[in-house]
Amino acid sequence: MIKTDKMAAADLVMGIFLIIFGGLVVLSSLNMKIYKTFLDAPGFFPFILGILFIGLGMMMISSSLRRKGYEQVKQGLKNFNPGYLFKSIQFQRVMILIILMVLYIFVLIDRVHFTLATTLYLFFTLYYLKSASLMKIIVISIATAFIISTFFTKFFQIPLP
Amino acid sequence: MLESFLHQADMFFHALAAQFYLANIIILAGATLMGIVVGAIPGLTATMALALLINLSYGMQFDLAISFLLGVYVGAIMGGCYSAIMVNIPGTPAAAATALDGFILAKRGEGGLAIGAGVIASFFGMLVSIAFLIFLTPFVYKIALKFGQWEFFLLAFFGVMICGNLSTGKDPIKGWVVGFLGFFTAMIGLDKVYAFPRFTFGLLQLKGGISLIPALIGVFGISEILIVLEQEIPYKILGKITRVIPSWKTIRSLIPTAIRSGVIGVGIGAVPGAGEDIGAWVAYDVGKRRSKQGEKYGTGCLEGVAAAETANNAVIGGAMIPLLTLAVPGSPPAAMFLAAIWLHGVRPGPMLTIENPTFLYEVAIVLLLATCFMLIWGLLVAKPMAMILKLKREILMPIILPLTVIGAYAGGVRIFDIKVTLFFGILGYVLRKLDYPMAPLVLGIILGPLADVSFRQALMQSRGSLIPLLGRPLGIVLLTAIVLIAYSGIRRTIEYSRQHSHPDSLKSIE
Repeated sequence: MIKTDKMAAADLVMGIFLIIFGGLVVLSSLNMKIYKTFLDAPGFFPFILGILFIGLGMMMISSSLRRKGYEQVKQGLKNFNPGYLFKSIQFQRVMILIILMVLYIFVLIDRVHFTLATTLYLFFTLYYLKSASLMKIIVISIATAFIISTFFTKFFQIPLP
Repeated sequence: MLESFLHQADMFFHALAAQFYLANIIILAGATLMGIVVGAIPGLTATMALALLINLSYGMQFDLAISFLLGVYVGAIMGGCYSAIMVNIPGTPAAAATALDGFILAKRGEGGLAIGAGVIASFFGMLVSIAFLIFLTPFVYKIALKFGQWEFFLLAFFGVMICGNLSTGKDPIKGWVVGFLGFFTAMIGLDKVYAFPRFTFGLLQLKGGISLIPALIGVFGISEILIVLEQEIPYKILGKITRVIPSWKTIRSLIPTAIRSGVIGVGIGAVPGAGEDIGAWVAYDVGKRRSKQGEKYGTGCLEGVAAAETANNAVIGGAMIPLLTLAVPGSPPAAMFLAAIWLHGVRPGPMLTIENPTFLYEVAIVLLLATCFMLIWGLLVAKPMAMILKLKREILMPIILPLTVIGAYAGGVRIFDIKVTLFFGILGYVLRKLDYPMAPLVLGIILGPLADVSFRQALMQSRGSLIPLLGRPLGIVLLTAIVLIAYSGIRRTIEYSRQHSHPDSLKSIE
């Protein structure tokens, strides 16, 4: 049975990305300092990797084109509707979860106490996921953050961020 | 020969005596139980169990840390069978093959027996793999001591190539791409030979390179949180668990399957990065074709459960062989274990047999004790496990993030490592959605420095010539293997693209 390969378009994009990335790796490795010869220079192994990325990228593009990757990309661009993407519940969930993680790690941690940062992160994440009733969420967030902090610092003497 | 055997036996008993003390036994019992519970929860893999619990080992004495980590590892691989059988969602990918027969048995009201058979099969698998670990590793050490720069470079390359080939079902190129991305990640930071900064973009924090544990925690921990939480998949636990321990006759009938699957598991485990899930699938497939009951596989057959469960646990001992002898992990959880013992100052590899000759036996004994605890706990907790499986994943998964944050931070006490974890978590999520396997990425990060330094030094010694390689039999074997893997992988990719190049596939796009 012949199946449609939904990954063909993604593979085409990835193939192009790999060729560009490989090219940049090769260029920057050639600009690295050579101490004795290029064979033992810091840029030698990255240079080989850059070549490998370019080769693999070309193979991915070739495989994707055979699987109608180009037609899929064209079709995708023709029907592209950002609104549709943002309406997807799955996409929304992942984006919001990532944003909450970014806020927790980049904004809260190192600025406020770990226990407070964790309480806030858990509260907003559990609330967004509708994991339990509001009261339960408050209790779970505070209790978990407190237990984790105490457990690691008091029992295992592990530093917290 | 006899002298060598007596010397090995002496070290074995020396290690045995060293492991029998109360704190160690308590830690092992607790760690194995923890591993079983974490492994049983759908979405929490064995690698994630180690990633989450690695932080608890930081403050432990080295011996206790080893016991703790191996206990978690052994328990988590077995624990995956509970949810595979009871809710048809494998707790770990290693238990995916278990679900095929296990869930059908559970629907028939024989879930308890399926769990019992799974636990006992896991026990057999561990025994087989520990036997191989003890008897095979000294020989591999002897071979590993002959490794020079060329062999180490080719071994690192071989590891990434074979792992990429095995971990992707249809398109090995994807496995190689992430493997070489792992190599690239390992290049970030100061060069190991001249301390020249590579790909640091002027960032001071990147000069120290990407720390292994934060990257692993991100790839296996955070990406898993996102994968599990991206959609709601409610699941229901089937009925009550009644009888768990199978009859002696049933156990006896499973022994040939257990031996066959155990050997397969050890073999797969010894292949760099291949992992428990591949071991279980291969053993299940071989069992289906070779066993007298083969046609019953997939219809609710205890032998199917036993084949998969024996093999996935047998992979653990197999994965330890390349890890201890060559510092090449045989599976993703073994990679976590390697990262953890590096942190405690132990450098596995050919020199370990000289620097710490009893370490192999200590690992084997700890695995043996963990196996015994796994059997006891496994049979005891089968009934209460239904309660644990009722835990809502929407509550559990967000709680895991602070634990991963602590795990990433505690090793180096750097906030930057937490950011690295998040970056690798998101990268891992995107790559997994695009069908890229994670095992080669991890293997690439681990083996990258070895490949880089060995290759450059080998070329310097030979003044840029490849001819000295022709005089090295081990090097030629590895090089031939790499060429064959590349050839078979490229052929598979071409076949795969041919299968999907039919005009019908375009119609279905439109």
